[in-house]
Amino acid sequence: MTAMRKANAAYPFGFLDEYAKKEVRRTVLKAIAIPGYQVPYSSREMPMGRGFGTGGLQLTLSIIGEDDTLKVIDQGSDDSVNAVNLRSFIEMTCDGIDTTDITDKANLIQSRHRIPEKPLREDQIIVLQVPYPDPLVVVEPSEDKRKIMHGEADYSRLLVKLYEDIVKFDEITISHRYPTCINGHYVIDPSPIPRWDVPKLHQSKALVLLGAGREKKIYAVPPYTDAEPLAFDDMPFRVESFNDENGQRRCCDRCGDDTSFLDEFDGQGGEKVYQCSDSDWCREQSIAKGA
Amino acid sequence: MSKIEAIWLPEVQQQVFRGLMEVMSRPGKTENLSELTNNASPARALLATLLDGEVNLCDHHNLLDDADWPLLQAQKVAVEHATTILCRGDSAVDFEPLLGELSSPEHSAMIVLVVENISEGNSHLSLSGPGVNGIISVKISGLNRDWLNQREEWISSFPLGVDLLLVDDSHVMALSRTTKIEVTSWVM
Repeated sequence: MTAMRKANAAYPFGFLDEYAKKEVRRTVLKAIAIPGYQVPYSSREMPMGRGFGTGGLQLTLSIIGEDDTLKVIDQGSDDSVNAVNLRSFIEMTCDGIDTTDITDKANLIQSRHRIPEKPLREDQIIVLQVPYPDPLVVVEPSEDKRKIMHGEADYSRLLVKLYEDIVKFDEITISHRYPTCINGHYVIDPSPIPRWDVPKLHQSKALVLLGAGREKKIYAVPPYTDAEPLAFDDMPFRVESFNDENGQRRCCDRCGDDTSFLDEFDGQGGEKVYQCSDSDWCREQSIAKGA
Repeated sequence: MSKIEAIWLPEVQQQVFRGLMEVMSRPGKTENLSELTNNASPARALLATLLDGEVNLCDHHNLLDDADWPLLQAQKVAVEHATTILCRGDSAVDFEPLLGELSSPEHSAMIVLVVENISEGNSHLSLSGPGVNGIISVKISGLNRDWLNQREEWISSFPLGVDLLLVDDSHVMALSRTTKIEVTSWVM
């Protein structure tokens, strides 16, 4: 680790060179100006494999400054492998920034697969890591054609796909990456956040930036912008249910909260155990309840 | 030993960009860049922040000094081909900017308009749309109304359009292509 830190002394602030940052920054402004449109950019090689959050990382490194307080989460947790490694890399290459586990204290949040439970504020920015940015890829293999379909807001084939789900399973079976219409035009893949988090995009106070490094795309949901999950009049969008077989809302095993998105895993006796997915939320609820 | 002007420093450009990102995210909001840039013109500061040799620029009314061009590195092009255009806001519109294509709306122009004042003025606009919580009122002076009329045409076929960055002596404000503008009173 010492050798790595010494080697990093040769890197500029934020690891990326200024030309790379400028390109990402120009792309970000276009993405904000055209809500939901996937703006192509020349994703740089990063010292980690594509698919490990390089898109989100390039966004964070291009916008972060010494005054920022950064929180990095993976599936809601600050302590999982992806989050720990990305945070460590950013700390090593961005001298002077602060990092935190506490959502309230962060003004820049990089996340894989979750949006924090606590409603974000206007002074916060969330960067989501995206593996597959285009929701139309399941119905149209040609990117050229997909780009025209997006431009025309032609999502009829995607709606047919959702309808086929209803015919086969009596409901839309997409559990994450739920296609969401931004400002009444572009439909985005909101990254593999659960359905639970999709409504948080709607009229969000915070700017939402999404980066797909492998697919070389950046897109955005500006603040106070409509974000409507695709649905039908007689089959409205619904989030995950955490009710048990008796219709009772399950609680977090650790903090007792019954309002958050829960992770399910096996307890020591083989029984199902549920805990808050958002570790900071869980910690805060535990303190509030004196648990 | 000559001192490098603040707008060319990476740490200043990062802060200027954050200001730009904020105003682009929230049309109608203004950011003061003068403290960051040691009172350099916001137009030069944001061009220094965004441009390099990979992109082009048209200085339509020759507002830049010759000495700025080598540092900006941007290619000089005619206004019809420019992805970034620097103009005076008090002049009438005399060109057709790039509006992008249906499949690639990002190939459109960002127009930097230098106006007298974007915090005070007798021309009042009501803005709504993405980035605006309800409706926001802004006051401007030194903007030719022709820009708003032309903009309405340019943005009429979303996602095609242009994005405007209005700057005065110290502040910057954005009017993105999705911003709905209603003129509530106008005095040029």
